[in-house]
Amino acid sequence: MLIKSQTEYKLKSPPEDAISSVKFGPNTNQFLLVSSWDGSVRLYDVMANTLRHKYSHDNPVLDCCFTDAVHSYSGGLDNTLKSLDFNTTTETSVGTHNNAIRCVEYCSEVNGILTGSWDHHLKLWDPRTPMCSGNYNQGDKVYTMSVCGEKLVVGTAGRKILVWDIRNMSYTLQKRESNLKYQTRAIRCFPNKQGFVLSSIEGRVAVEYLDTSPEVQKKKYAFKCHRIKEDGLERIYPVNAISFHPTHNTFATGGSDGYVNIWDGFNKKRLCQFHQYHTSVTSLSFSHNGSVLAIACSYFLEEETLPNPMPEDAIYIRTVTDQETKPKA
Amino acid sequence: MGRKKKKQSKPWCWYCNREFEDEKILIQHQKAKHFKCHICHKKLYTGPGLSIHCMQVHKEAIDKVPNSLPNRSNIEIEIYGMEGIPAADLKEHERQKQGAQDSDDDEPMPKRPKPEGLLGTAPGTMPNPGLVPGLMQPAVHPGMPPGMPMGPMIGPMGHIGPPFMPPGMHMMPPHLAMMQAQASPAKPLFPSAVPVSSPGAPVVGADFKPITSGSPTTKPTFPAYTGATISAPPTTNNSMPSSSSTSSGENGKVATIATTGAASKIIHPVEDISLEEIRARQSRYQKSIPTKEDDVTASTSSAASDQLALAVSAAQQAVVNQAKQDALNHAAMLQRFQRPAGPPMMAMPGGPVTSMPLVMRPAMIPGPPTFVGANLMRPPPLGMPPGLIGMPPGVVYGAPVLPGGPMLTPMMQPRFR
Repeated sequence: MLIKSQTEYKLKSPPEDAISSVKFGPNTNQFLLVSSWDGSVRLYDVMANTLRHKYSHDNPVLDCCFTDAVHSYSGGLDNTLKSLDFNTTTETSVGTHNNAIRCVEYCSEVNGILTGSWDHHLKLWDPRTPMCSGNYNQGDKVYTMSVCGEKLVVGTAGRKILVWDIRNMSYTLQKRESNLKYQTRAIRCFPNKQGFVLSSIEGRVAVEYLDTSPEVQKKKYAFKCHRIKEDGLERIYPVNAISFHPTHNTFATGGSDGYVNIWDGFNKKRLCQFHQYHTSVTSLSFSHNGSVLAIACSYFLEEETLPNPMPEDAIYIRTVTDQETKPKA
Repeated sequence: MGRKKKKQSKPWCWYCNREFEDEKILIQHQKAKHFKCHICHKKLYTGPGLSIHCMQVHKEAIDKVPNSLPNRSNIEIEIYGMEGIPAADLKEHERQKQGAQDSDDDEPMPKRPKPEGLLGTAPGTMPNPGLVPGLMQPAVHPGMPPGMPMGPMIGPMGHIGPPFMPPGMHMMPPHLAMMQAQASPAKPLFPSAVPVSSPGAPVVGADFKPITSGSPTTKPTFPAYTGATISAPPTTNNSMPSSSSTSSGENGKVATIATTGAASKIIHPVEDISLEEIRARQSRYQKSIPTKEDDVTASTSSAASDQLALAVSAAQQAVVNQAKQDALNHAAMLQRFQRPAGPPMMAMPGGPVTSMPLVMRPAMIPGPPTFVGANLMRPPPLGMPPGLIGMPPGVVYGAPVLPGGPMLTPMMQPRFR
């Protein structure tokens, strides 16, 4: 029913392999950081629709983040955390893990970079003196993590969730098992810091609260999504990406079904669904003011039989309105 | 049946064939169901009106009237209440009603709310797109108009077949019709579950379901989430195929996911490792990955020391890599002890002073992102939080929870290798 229109466009000169992560800059809609399996991290000017800068790792890059408007950090299968100063275009190898770095997050409250790795560890890095200032066992491979103020929520293999206080990493604040039965795919924290949203490979999303009091815990719930029924067979897709709207506390989810949904987690409502993208949605990022959503699409080998031809890797920039992202009062 | 006599004159909706007691209610229905903008929910007056609104306000083209029958989805025709209905359809409708009068069923229909999240199911999913115009669609169809009979009616209707109107459709008491026209469009659960551009794919999965065990006292609006409980084993009763994900680590094999169920299939490889790990095994990424099996070793060692570990362990690989790993660990250990002790980072929200970016616009403020909202952190209360596992009741909050050993400072972090 909806026809594609000016609300959305595709970025030119996209990565040459699957896109692992897209992140908007901290205080502008203009810059988007993109990490890819082609081993590169790219900085796009999405307003001009141009590639502004690009730097490389030796191996596929699994995640990237901005620490401020002019510095990015990235890590991937080469186990190395790299940083780049966009002003001077100086690349720095900050440090390494013993296995691939899966997640790179920035915590502004302590001004630290956090990396989660398949070596079961989380490392904390100080951007002023690029060195590791802490190494913390997570008990299993880190699959996803999200910073929520001074708290950090880590999702690992084996469906474990760990909550840390980044100011005092000497002990784990909370240890939980995922409420979802299947492998944790993504975790993102509510901007209001009350809780987090967790998605699994089995088309399901849980809304969780950090406060452990029973009254608050009563509010948690999970729901099914990113499923397509065809000829009596329900195809259940991994929910790969979550991104919160920075002010409305609503969130977008992206699945391997190629759909992007926007949800109002507090009122248990879906606010909208975009058209189906040509392949799996692997990463989503709202811009700092929530007016633009970046949507990364790459086929991610979910099925044994590869599609032919392979879907292209693409990043869509979509302007979103309050009607699509604001809770309906 | 005296009531039946009134049927001929009942106004009906051309878009979905529903009948109404009153043309006023019909118009309300049309505005709410067929002429409502899916983006801003503004109610327009006609199909062309909606089309123009969407084009001008939202820059979206609409080619079908929402929630309409497949052969009645024309957005160009200007219909307002009973005005503007093509004469042929008017005649056809009258004829259908005459035929339907033979069916004898004066039971008023129990009103069932339409399953939400199905608003505007695209016409492609209609089971019988070729039905005679003006004919009611079978009630079991998800795209049916609200208030269509369900449950007991499904049986009889199945037998009646095309030539008849479903019995009871005309018998709807006025107050029910009123309720539907007014109440049901007013509170859609998923107001935006409007048709997307993929006809043929019903909008699925919009059913929010609470986790019952965590909230036994809440009265959910939604059906209970049958499966997962807070710390339940993954084998709790559930119609979904069970996963063996948590059994990894105990057995030495790679855990698998039962991806195929009776009526469902999880689109994911059967191995219970992340898509990234599976992708990373592809030969094209292998060439320069330095320590690929570290993970295996790590999980083996941590499993020995730390019951948290649930990771896949592969003993034979671990042996092969042990020597290399030991060397690495030793180096890592030395490195760690050379690092400064103390709290890892001080709160310094200002961050490093950065010069004005050359590539950025002058209007931008460099510096770390500011988080919205106040600092809401508060320590969780004492006692046994339902979500916590591995913390025995009575453990004072704040004590080290990680059973892996003394984790006093980052420096002292043991690895037990």
